[in-house]
This record gives sequence, structure tokens and C-alpha cells, in this order.
Amino acid sequence: MRIANPHLLLRRLHSLFGLLPVGAFLVFHLWENSQSRFGAAHYNGEVVAVLQRLNYLPVLEIVVIALPLLFHAGYGLVILSQMRAEPRRYRYLRNWLYVMQRVSGIGILLFLILHVGMTRIESIWRVTVREDLFGHMQHLLTQPWIFTVYVVGLLLSVLHLANGMATLGIVWGLTTSAYAQRLFGSVCALFGLLLVAIGIHGLLGFLS
Amino acid sequence: MSTINLRIRRQDNPDSQPYWQAFSIPAAADHNVVSVLLALRDNPVTTSGERVAPVIWDHNCMEEVCGSCAMLINGVPRPACSALIDSLIQPIRLEPMPKFPVVRDLLVDRSCMDASLRRVKAWIEIDGAWDTGLGAPRIAPVAWSANYLYSRCMSCGVCLSACPQFGSHSDFIGAAPLAQVRLMNAHPTGRYDKTERLHAIMGAGGLSDCGNAQNCVRVCPKGIPLTTAIGELGRQTTLQALQDLFGESTPSL
Ligand code: SF4
Repeated sequence: MRIANPHLLLRRLHSLFGLLPVGAFLVFHLWENSQSRFGAAHYNGEVVAVLQRLNYLPVLEIVVIALPLLFHAGYGLVILSQMRAEPRRYRYLRNWLYVMQRVSGIGILLFLILHVGMTRIESIWRVTVREDLFGHMQHLLTQPWIFTVYVVGLLLSVLHLANGMATLGIVWGLTTSAYAQRLFGSVCALFGLLLVAIGIHGLLGFLS
Repeated sequence: MSTINLRIRRQDNPDSQPYWQAFSIPAAADHNVVSVLLALRDNPVTTSGERVAPVIWDHNCMEEVCGSCAMLINGVPRPACSALIDSLIQPIRLEPMPKFPVVRDLLVDRSCMDASLRRVKAWIEIDGAWDTGLGAPRIAPVAWSANYLYSRCMSCGVCLSACPQFGSHSDFIGAAPLAQVRLMNAHPTGRYDKTERLHAIMGAGGLSDCGNAQNCVRVCPKGIPLTTAIGELGRQTTLQALQDLFGESTPSL
């Protein structure tokens, strides 16, 4: 039997990309930047420099991060148009998370335009960003509005990943019973809290 | 309280504008929304004294098994026969079920659910060109009691009207027909058409248009574990997609 209809495959690809590689990259990214705690010399010399020395880095960035992210975001926007949410009428946690998943998706997209623009894109023409990323981030994050935007971006991203993992369990049929779905939902929530802690830790690290 | 106060959203025909009318009828013990509407039909006079056309709605069994009387009661979709007046805040607001085309007053057209059931082949094929050789199908009691839950669906459409992904803007079939796929696929004879049903729900408007808001399972008057059905179908379609992509495993039947 051949695939007659690509609909399910597209949806599953969208779901998978949210976890791998995009979600996995978020985890790596937060962990990597939590090293800011060890100071400018360590962060620039040991963390950023090692990554910048990777062979074929731009290819990896485009194929492993940018393209899957763009597909996930683009197809997510298509799916968004199916939402007719009534969060007031149906005041259930899952229903609110359903709305938040879509709202946070838009928020993350806006945040990423700013975030990637201010860092990765700017580093293309500004050598100082590449050579002293710590200093650059410190300069950005000491401005209260940017710090606030980053905290919001972090919270939205983690919410989107943690809730996305919980629903991914249902979508792929990992969790079927209400009990399993609740349990896995709690595990994802704890995972999210851990990620927020790591993320905040990293943001504060740039201020010290 | 000596009267039962109603506010009813009326609509004269499918294309006309809806409007509200208020009614008040004498209170009596053990009223539910259907019995109140029946009483109102005897004397359809609004609170301002105007005699109007009787309110049209759908009802049949009066014991929450036919599903026909579902409507929006105080903003919540539910069957009217099991909505006891004593448990409702007054004035009781009655509106037609959202997401379904209004025929007149509280009567809606739910034929899209029949179309969805046809689309997913929610029946069991017992006639064939050959004798299937099976006697009465045997089934484990545990499987039977799990299946039984889904067999109670009465196609009331409540789960669909609460679904943020369902409506005229989308072709999502909603939870009820999906749950029937779960039921028919588990039947000893029905499983022969499992692949066909799974392919039907793998297309646009099928399973993957579910957004996991899970309102359906909270509002279903029959307590049908709709989100479990959706999870189980997630697993079935995952395996089916793998078979479609990489080839069949040894047939187990
Ligand atoms: S699943 Fe429940 S709410 Fe949905 S149509 Fe069937 S009985 Fe009604």
C-alpha cells in the first residue's frame, strides 16, 4: 500500500521537527548559554569558540536548525487558521494550553526574528559580536526591555516545547489512557520548569 | 420559584437573522428542558404577552440515548432531556448547538456527522462474496467492556460543538466519528477493514486535524473516553504509516 494522502505525514513531520531537531536544539542552546555563569573568558574561549570552529557550521545551522524551524513555523501558521478557540466557555487546562500553544508559537516567531537578528545575523557583518559574544550579550541584556523580551521569549519557547511534547505523546500514540496522558503531561511540565531554571540561570550569567 | 424563565434564541429559517424571545411558564416538579419546551408549545406567549410561533426543536427518547435534543443550555452544549431545571441558573438561555447549520429555532442539521461516519466506514462488513467462516465472534471480557464505552455514542454532536478545530471553517470530522473508528477497528469482524478506516482518517480533516484541546471528553454526556480513542488511533496510524512507507509486516489475521 502506497501513501495515498500526504496529510498525516506532513502533520507528523511538523510534530517530529518540533521535537527533533528544534526542541533538542533549544535544550542544547539553553544549556550552552547557561555557561555564561563561568565568565566572559570561559564563555568566549571555551564555549563559543569550540562551536565556531566546527567544520561546515553554516551548513549545519541551515540544515539542522533553520530549515526544520522554518517548516515547523510555516506549517504551524497554516494549522493556526483552524483554531476557533473559546477559552472562556471551556475553562479546562488542556483547552487553555491548546490556545497557548498557538499564541506562544506566534510570540516565539516574533522573538526569534529579534533574537536571531541581534545575534547570529548581526555577527555576519560585525566581527566584535563573533569575537566577544559575551560582551555583546551583556550589552544587550543590561537594557531592561531586551532582558524582559528575552525572559518572555524563554518562557514561551519552553511552554511551547513542554506542551508540544505532551501532545506529541498523544499524537503518536505513546500515551493513550487519560492516566498516561496526565502523567506524561506532568513529566513534561517538570522538564519545562527545569529548562526555565537553566535558561534564567544563563540570562543572569551575562549580567554578572 | 413559581415560574421558569427562559430566553430562547430563535431563527425563522436557515438564512434569516436570529433574535431572542423571553418566556415564562409555571414551575412544576421534575421539569427538564425538553418537558419545559413541550409545556411552552401549548401556550407560546412571550413575557410581553405576544403570541408567537411555537419553538421548534428536536427530541425523541427523553432518556439521553438518542442524542437528538442536544442544544446550548446556559452556554453549555448538552442534551436537553437530561438538563434538569432545578440544576440550572435562570433565566435559562437556550440556543441552537453551535457549529451546526440552524434549520429553525433550536433545530440544527447534524447530517455532517452521518457523512463523517460514512467516510470513515463506521460499520462492520458482514456480507462478502465468500463465507468468512466465522461463528459468533469471541472477544475477551476486558476488550468487550472497553469497546462498550464507545458503543454508547448517540451522535448528539456535543463533542463537536465544543471542539475548537471543528466547524464550517475546517473539514475536521471531530471526535465522535474517530471514536467509532476505534470501536469498529476493535471488533473481531470489523478489524478486517481496519486499514481502510485508518486511511480514511489519515487524510485531510481526519485524525491529525485534532488539536488536543480535549474539550470533547469533558463535555460528552455519555462519558466516552474520546481522547483515549484519539491516542489509540494515534498509535494505530503511526503503525499504519510505517507499514505504508516501509511495507507490511506479516499479516496477523
Ligand atoms: S462522543 Fe459523546 S458527545 Fe460526541 S456525539 Fe457521541 S455521545 Fe455525543
